[in-house]
Amino acid sequence: MGFQQKQHGNSGFEVAHEAGAARTGTLQVGDTGIKTPNLFPVVNFYAGGTSSSLYGGGIHRTMKEFMNGDEVINGGDYSEYFDGVMTSVASLTDYGITKERYEEYIDTPIKERDLFDFDGVLFVDSGGFKFLGDKTLDGSDFEVDVDQRAIIDIQRKLGADLVLNLDRPIEPDDDYETRVRKAHMTAQNVDQFLELTDRQRQTRYLTLHGYNYSMLNTFLTEIEKVIGKNRVHREFDGVALGSLVPLKDNKDKLITAVSDCREVLDDWGFDELPLHVLGISSSAIPLLAAVGADTFDSSSYLHAAINGKYHTSLYNTEPLDDVDFSDCDCPVCSDGKLVNWMEGDAEYQKDKLGAVSMHNLIIQKKEISRVREAINKSGTGGLVEYFEQSLSRHKSMQRHAHRVVNDSLGGYF
Amino acid sequence: MSTTKTPQVNEVNEFLEIASDFEDPLEVIRESLSNSYDAGATEVEITIRDRPIGSEIVIEDNGEGMDYTDLESFFDLGNSTKRDPSSDAIGYKGHGTKIFYKSEEILVNTSKEGTNLRARMEQPWEKLNNRVMPEYEIKERSVKKGNNGTHIRITGFKSGRGFSPSSLTYNKIEHYLKWKTLAGSTAHYFTDDYHEMDVYITLGDEIDDTQETLKLDNKLEFPEEQIEPGEGKFPESRMCKHYPPRELTVETDDGDTATIKVVGMIGGKDARNELPTYGKHSVQFGIWLAKDYIKVERVNEVISHDNEFLHFFFVANCQDIELSANREKIRNKSSSIYQAIKEELSHYLSKIASDPWFKDYLNQRRKAKLSRRAKSQQSSVEDREKQIHDREQFMPSNDAEVVLGLERSNRNGTLPKIVVEDYNPDVEVNALVRQNGSLYASSIHHKLTDHFAADKPLEAVDKIICWSYGDRDELSELERHGYHGGDITFDLNTGRIEYQNGRKHNIHIVSVEQRF
Repeated sequence: MGFQQKQHGNSGFEVAHEAGAARTGTLQVGDTGIKTPNLFPVVNFYAGGTSSSLYGGGIHRTMKEFMNGDEVINGGDYSEYFDGVMTSVASLTDYGITKERYEEYIDTPIKERDLFDFDGVLFVDSGGFKFLGDKTLDGSDFEVDVDQRAIIDIQRKLGADLVLNLDRPIEPDDDYETRVRKAHMTAQNVDQFLELTDRQRQTRYLTLHGYNYSMLNTFLTEIEKVIGKNRVHREFDGVALGSLVPLKDNKDKLITAVSDCREVLDDWGFDELPLHVLGISSSAIPLLAAVGADTFDSSSYLHAAINGKYHTSLYNTEPLDDVDFSDCDCPVCSDGKLVNWMEGDAEYQKDKLGAVSMHNLIIQKKEISRVREAINKSGTGGLVEYFEQSLSRHKSMQRHAHRVVNDSLGGYF
Repeated sequence: MSTTKTPQVNEVNEFLEIASDFEDPLEVIRESLSNSYDAGATEVEITIRDRPIGSEIVIEDNGEGMDYTDLESFFDLGNSTKRDPSSDAIGYKGHGTKIFYKSEEILVNTSKEGTNLRARMEQPWEKLNNRVMPEYEIKERSVKKGNNGTHIRITGFKSGRGFSPSSLTYNKIEHYLKWKTLAGSTAHYFTDDYHEMDVYITLGDEIDDTQETLKLDNKLEFPEEQIEPGEGKFPESRMCKHYPPRELTVETDDGDTATIKVVGMIGGKDARNELPTYGKHSVQFGIWLAKDYIKVERVNEVISHDNEFLHFFFVANCQDIELSANREKIRNKSSSIYQAIKEELSHYLSKIASDPWFKDYLNQRRKAKLSRRAKSQQSSVEDREKQIHDREQFMPSNDAEVVLGLERSNRNGTLPKIVVEDYNPDVEVNALVRQNGSLYASSIHHKLTDHFAADKPLEAVDKIICWSYGDRDELSELERHGYHGGDITFDLNTGRIEYQNGRKHNIHIVSVEQRF
């Protein structure tokens, strides 16, 4: 193979402070230590990410310019917001690319490409979520049958630090038999995943699917049946809870899923493992961190920007045209050129919205760092106070904030 | 030429207006308690007697007494010596004591620092009504220092209709004082240095002779906590949890700030009954806004709709609310500070409503209700068993049992065999039955008359299957008046209905009872 794999001998997860079910810690992946709870922004490396797509790629390209600190975005250093990023195998299958183009793209690991100045943790998911709702993960354009082996090949060639097995997400309407069947299919992939990957080289996360304790327990039971008790317990560095995107607007169900997941993990003896929540971000982050989620991934910063929404906080957005940029002291809003872009004085729409995306991401990253600080205060008081000042002041979020304070942080009275 | 004019006040009318706002003799007590408290009294004695010329009310306290200035402000309108709203004095408008004008005579005997003043005003109400401003005479004499205090006697107080002293009882007074006056103050929850005051009430024997005197303190106290459910049919009814005093700070966009001091409890019916309520629970419980720690108006809208306010009893005191002259209403409801107070309370109450204990309490209530329902079902099963034992033969009591009866008659070998092939109680033609190999559209009812009572058409029906015919007179009335505009005749001997509405239609009646 024409590339070197990074050694991951020093990976691990260490808990620093606990506040109820919430915890802070360090997720060590290779040389990089990521403070948790934390957020992996979803970055599309393919779009505008090859030399032949220099002028394409839209907003994704601008995001990578921020990641690199390129001159075109005025040379600012934004690397702290890219300490870990997630990219999806599906970002390839979304584009109808040819075999040549595909092979060219995965030819060199992302971190070794001249085009990117990125040295954070690269989390590459398996694209399993594309199976949701009868969709398929279709590699026919580039003549690849998408199975666990192919996914691992792509993950490895992209130089992933942190990888997920190929999974079969469940849907809210699935009956018991369907969920068990999907768990069984996922288990077979997991079996292959463990054979084909090397824990010394990559941090391995096991995907879990279920909306409550019983579903997750059934899921793990199926996995254990196929791969054996020992391997379930010894071979993973973390777990990733999936299938939650269809519930993204129902915070009650999200909280139940994550807190039940932590309970299942405790009962199965996995309490030491970091818990990643796939595909859920924004205002759910503090709530889910409070019930024990350690990391998140998010593309909502991008989607908000594409829809012309500028985040004034984790839970509030303003239409771009109404924004007074002087109210924000983030590096994007403090840069005259970027403010001009956001005000509409940009040659390309991607630059205007790219700058807004970067601002949105900074808001999300700063908020999660406030959550970390709140957990780090002794006892649960810091986090309770955090909710008191934030989510519990929002009518629509109040109920959920009260719930996590009562369920996980010892309550108000 | 320019002229400057000062608007004039009709003083007599103003006195009349303000005094007229007060009707209930209990309001006299409320105002007196506030005055005694503001004078630093630690004891107040109030005596009420019912006299032919009206009620006599005597108020005596050991406060600091009044000097000339204090006495002036006692009789003047809008001239309180307690003008500073930020002091903890309750009366500062100079309205309260004007309630005394609704009487035959006001006598004030007060001693302050070695000087005794006796003031007397005769016929104040009659004079005001004759548009004459009543005058008062003051006599001064020296007394020994240290005997401070005030004695007020109101003779012939004019209660409003329905507020006569004869309707008073010790129980009513106690509940009123604890609910509506500073005797029910929540201030003691917020300070270690509380000004305590004992209140003694004596009613003339002609009003209530059940006890000599009623003694009260000036503290509202909640019923004892009971966190766990009790026994019996209503285990939640004595549950009670206190929510400790909290100070909430609010700020408006304009930068105005206010402090809310809130304390309260949640409790079941029995726990709430231990409080000195003054009226029905539905008008007493919920969230009260208070000033001077005396409840004024409820703001139950700060509890979200799915948390019934009845279980809550919270008193939220805020000195930044402004009151009407008779203290019954909040005046500054359109101010931003009032809105901010409500928002902050709403936020605080949302936390209380989310308290797992409250959820458990509601759950206990629900479980008890279900178990009561299960018990009543159990007893109804027993009743039904008894009915089965008592009756001599199968006797349906509803349509579905008629279907069972029909099947049972088939099993017994009754002919013709009529088999229910399809039964849907929700549609008009509720059954399809098979007889001699043919299907018949049928209407199955407990009684034949039920078909007509349900106003069902006849055209689409081949058979009406019933246990019995029901009231035959009802059937006769149908024959007399017709049905749905057509002529109808019942031949119960042959089991036929003949119906003519444009077209002639015969319907077969099956009486299941007769098949046994």
